[in-house]
Amino acid sequence: MSPKLLALLKVDQLAKDSAAVITVRGLQKRYRSTVAVAGLDLAVQRGEIFGLIGPDGAGKTTTFHVLAGVMEASAGDVQVLGRPPGQARMQMGYLTQQFSLYLDLSLEENLRYTAGLRRVPPARYVERRDRYLELMALTPFVNRRAGQLSGGMKQKLALCCALVSQPQILLLDEPTTGVDPVSRREFWDVIATLAATEGTTIVVATPYLDEAERCDRVALMSAGQIQQLGTVPELRQSLGLHRLEVHLAQASDLGRAEVALVGEEMGDRGGTVIVDVQTFGDRLDVLVADRQAGPQQVRSRLGDIAYVDLTLMPPTLENVFVTRLRQQGSDPPFIPFPEQTPRAATPAAGVAIKAEKLGKTFGDFRAVDDVTLTIRHGEIYGLLGANGAGKTTTIKMLCGLLVPTSGAMELAGEKQDLRRSAIRQRLGYMSQKFTLYDDLTIRQNLEFYCGVYGIRRSQRRARIDWVLATCGLEGQGQLMTGRLPQGWKQRVAFGASVMHEPEILFLDEPTSGVDPLARRQFWRLIADLARQGTAILVTTHYLEEAEHCNRMGFMVAGRLVAQGSPQEIKASQPGQLLELVAEPLQAASNCLKAAMAPWRVAMFGDRLHVVVDEPPQDIPQLRSRLQAAHITLHQLRPIPFTLEDAFIGIVQRAGG
Amino acid sequence: MKRILAQARKELSQFWRDRLTVALAIVLPLLTLFIFGFAIRLGSQDLPLVVQDLDISPHSRAYGEQLFATNQFKPVPWPLDRPVAAALDQGQAKAVVVIPPDFQRQITQGQPVTIQVLIDGTDANNARFLQNAIRATTNAFNQSLVPQPLPLPVTVATRLWFNPGRQESLFIVPGVLGVVLWIFPSLLAAIAMVREKERGTIIQVYASDLRAEELLLGKGLAYLGVGLVEALVVIGLAMVIFGLGFAGDPTPFLLGTPIFLAAAVMFGLFVGVRANSQNAAVQGVALVGFLTALLLSGFIYPLANIPFPLSMVSNVVPARYYIALSRDAFVRGSGWPGVWWQVGMILVLGLVLFAVARRLLHRMKLPD
Repeated sequence: MSPKLLALLKVDQLAKDSAAVITVRGLQKRYRSTVAVAGLDLAVQRGEIFGLIGPDGAGKTTTFHVLAGVMEASAGDVQVLGRPPGQARMQMGYLTQQFSLYLDLSLEENLRYTAGLRRVPPARYVERRDRYLELMALTPFVNRRAGQLSGGMKQKLALCCALVSQPQILLLDEPTTGVDPVSRREFWDVIATLAATEGTTIVVATPYLDEAERCDRVALMSAGQIQQLGTVPELRQSLGLHRLEVHLAQASDLGRAEVALVGEEMGDRGGTVIVDVQTFGDRLDVLVADRQAGPQQVRSRLGDIAYVDLTLMPPTLENVFVTRLRQQGSDPPFIPFPEQTPRAATPAAGVAIKAEKLGKTFGDFRAVDDVTLTIRHGEIYGLLGANGAGKTTTIKMLCGLLVPTSGAMELAGEKQDLRRSAIRQRLGYMSQKFTLYDDLTIRQNLEFYCGVYGIRRSQRRARIDWVLATCGLEGQGQLMTGRLPQGWKQRVAFGASVMHEPEILFLDEPTSGVDPLARRQFWRLIADLARQGTAILVTTHYLEEAEHCNRMGFMVAGRLVAQGSPQEIKASQPGQLLELVAEPLQAASNCLKAAMAPWRVAMFGDRLHVVVDEPPQDIPQLRSRLQAAHITLHQLRPIPFTLEDAFIGIVQRAGG
Repeated sequence: MKRILAQARKELSQFWRDRLTVALAIVLPLLTLFIFGFAIRLGSQDLPLVVQDLDISPHSRAYGEQLFATNQFKPVPWPLDRPVAAALDQGQAKAVVVIPPDFQRQITQGQPVTIQVLIDGTDANNARFLQNAIRATTNAFNQSLVPQPLPLPVTVATRLWFNPGRQESLFIVPGVLGVVLWIFPSLLAAIAMVREKERGTIIQVYASDLRAEELLLGKGLAYLGVGLVEALVVIGLAMVIFGLGFAGDPTPFLLGTPIFLAAAVMFGLFVGVRANSQNAAVQGVALVGFLTALLLSGFIYPLANIPFPLSMVSNVVPARYYIALSRDAFVRGSGWPGVWWQVGMILVLGLVLFAVARRLLHRMKLPD
């Protein structure tokens, strides 16, 4: 039987089951000539958290629109709670990708309006508003305008709005895009609580695959169809691969090791069991087809490169995602920058950006306070911090868009008059908000930026073609930019910001909302630019990406609280990190959080990270605590800190 | 009904929050009122006129003086040796009167005499006015020369009804009300509608079971409220500054104004439903709303002068009926018997706009 037929039978089976609250059969959606969804089948059961993952432009948002009843399907049958979606709207809450909030209204006004829209009786409204605001820790801001909230808080408010009518089904379209790791986890804790206590069915799309691991079932979607569907362990097993974590003795060997492992014979896969190699700052993740031959081959390929540790682990959901999509050939190509201009003028390792006690005050709000940093040419500097910590304000000051209230700075060797066009020509800036014109075609947008940055006419064609090819948009230059999926717009915007070969590049969350494959490609381009001598300042909420940075700074409430290389940051973390595999995991997390400081406990995919100060005493205590709560502990082992652990610790300890 | 009120309430909070919009909502209509009220003058005064007197006799001088006796013309000196056509060519005069050399001699001999008049025809309206004015002066001059046999068989006794002083603002300002109260409420409503689409907040509305009419009435109600405040301010100031007062029964006007404002808001919402960006919405209101209210409403140019296919369009311009209503209230004062029809038409057109907007929106779904 064909897999498609099997899937259909499965859906029918589920539909008969009264537990299925959403059934979709043969859903299709076409926009004029483009097909967004091409025959989608799925069934979601009552009370489950159902994850939808897939590359940008896979048709996830369109599927959500149809499920939410705000868009007509071109073909197919969709039933929500046994009715067409249009008739089940009042039983659903829908969180769209764009913030669906009125930014000029206060939190309370936003909530009241949604409650009115969804016919919530006034008495119930007040009770629910208070409960959910409390749950999301938004109560102190109830009279603040939504526009003044940080990204993470906006998403929580949007979730509050969706919850105020107590829907049976929650549709969440990338709710944590652009949200920092701490807020992200808080958001997911709330979702898990809802699913557990109120029996809400949740369908969620996310670009963070560690979040997807918290789902009961996950569907991998691409090209408008579901490629694979199952529980997280099922998906991992189906891959039939093993993951080898390789920790090297010297971080400087990483590049060499990657080349050695990938092998010279990229085209000839016959003799190799190595399927994929990925660098994570201080370690390599190698996917191997065989648990015996794999480690052997890795050892032999590494040759004289010294490694500390070689651990065989189960593959992650990200491995599944990347491998499956590679098999379909949707890996964006890495194309080196065309006709690079040799950089004789910039002295290697010269200072590109220097800030001395930089500060910025808006009214009585101190957005940035005493920031001192130096970034050299050829260096990638990561600026990390929670939403609203002042990263964007810092970047705007450093690239000369905002005048600092206090402090001094130097940009490309200049101290004065930083808005001169001669300096601006040497900078590249990709802001968080899209800098592309939605009502121009992609090519027109790129041509506009070529003109703005004064790229020579003879080079324009090659550069634009390079951006299009890198984005996987060859021959699509005449497409309206506004019609692109969010992740693709981001790719074009990135291309537009580097087209003029800036000496100094500012990237404000370049990868937010971009799928894992494209993110890898971004970082290869960033690394390539850095090798050419470009100084790069980048912000990101993907901490595993931040491992690519040479140095980084952590911001909390406008201040730089820690700086250093990834290794230094991780080494400076207090205590010992423990990894726990427990069941049920959410209960374990809640139980430990109740007993310890919240920053010590964090959920990482299907496991828990816990920081303890005195392992000999704390571990037994921890075990007994979990036992008392009837939680089965499958595994507990000490592990080194990752940057994400460091982030959670630094931000929560400093923020209180 | 509750949801309509919730919608209206949210809309008003949003409007009120943006102080710039609030200021513009009041200042712009007033500015328009003043510009139109003070700047438009339909009657012509002090038109530059060259009189070339080739006769230089008591009669020719008397004729010339009679031309300038009213304030309609302003003399432009012109040397005798220069060709008079040049005065028109160079734009120094709008008309030229040439009195022939034997003017007095021929008159005294009882022979008919012809004077030449050249009129700048660029501005057709003005040209007609000049022609009439010079004719009238010449007739009067003729009568002073040749005593008419008394009594004349037919005489005309004219009396201006309604606006005895021929006060111009009495004609213009009630018309301005029609234009101002049409454009600004509709502009605000159109922007409010399209903003939800631009920001994506409309999806939340679609995701609830709010119906199209509830959405339209909710937003409409809010901007009807804003429009009423605008109307109060604009009409109040118009009455004070331009000395307008109700000429008769004000009830048709007082009832017609809210209906007209509601129609304007519905028009704005209709544009907002069609447009996809604020720019498009503003242009839509400005182009369609403003032009029709200005040109096809009888505000300045008489409705009867609009040629055939366009005259059909003017029948569906609500401002046309409101201007008639407003002129009746402030100038004519005939009350219900004279204007019940206008109030009815505004109501019908408002309902049609509502129905069309509702029809466009009724799916309450994202477009494909």
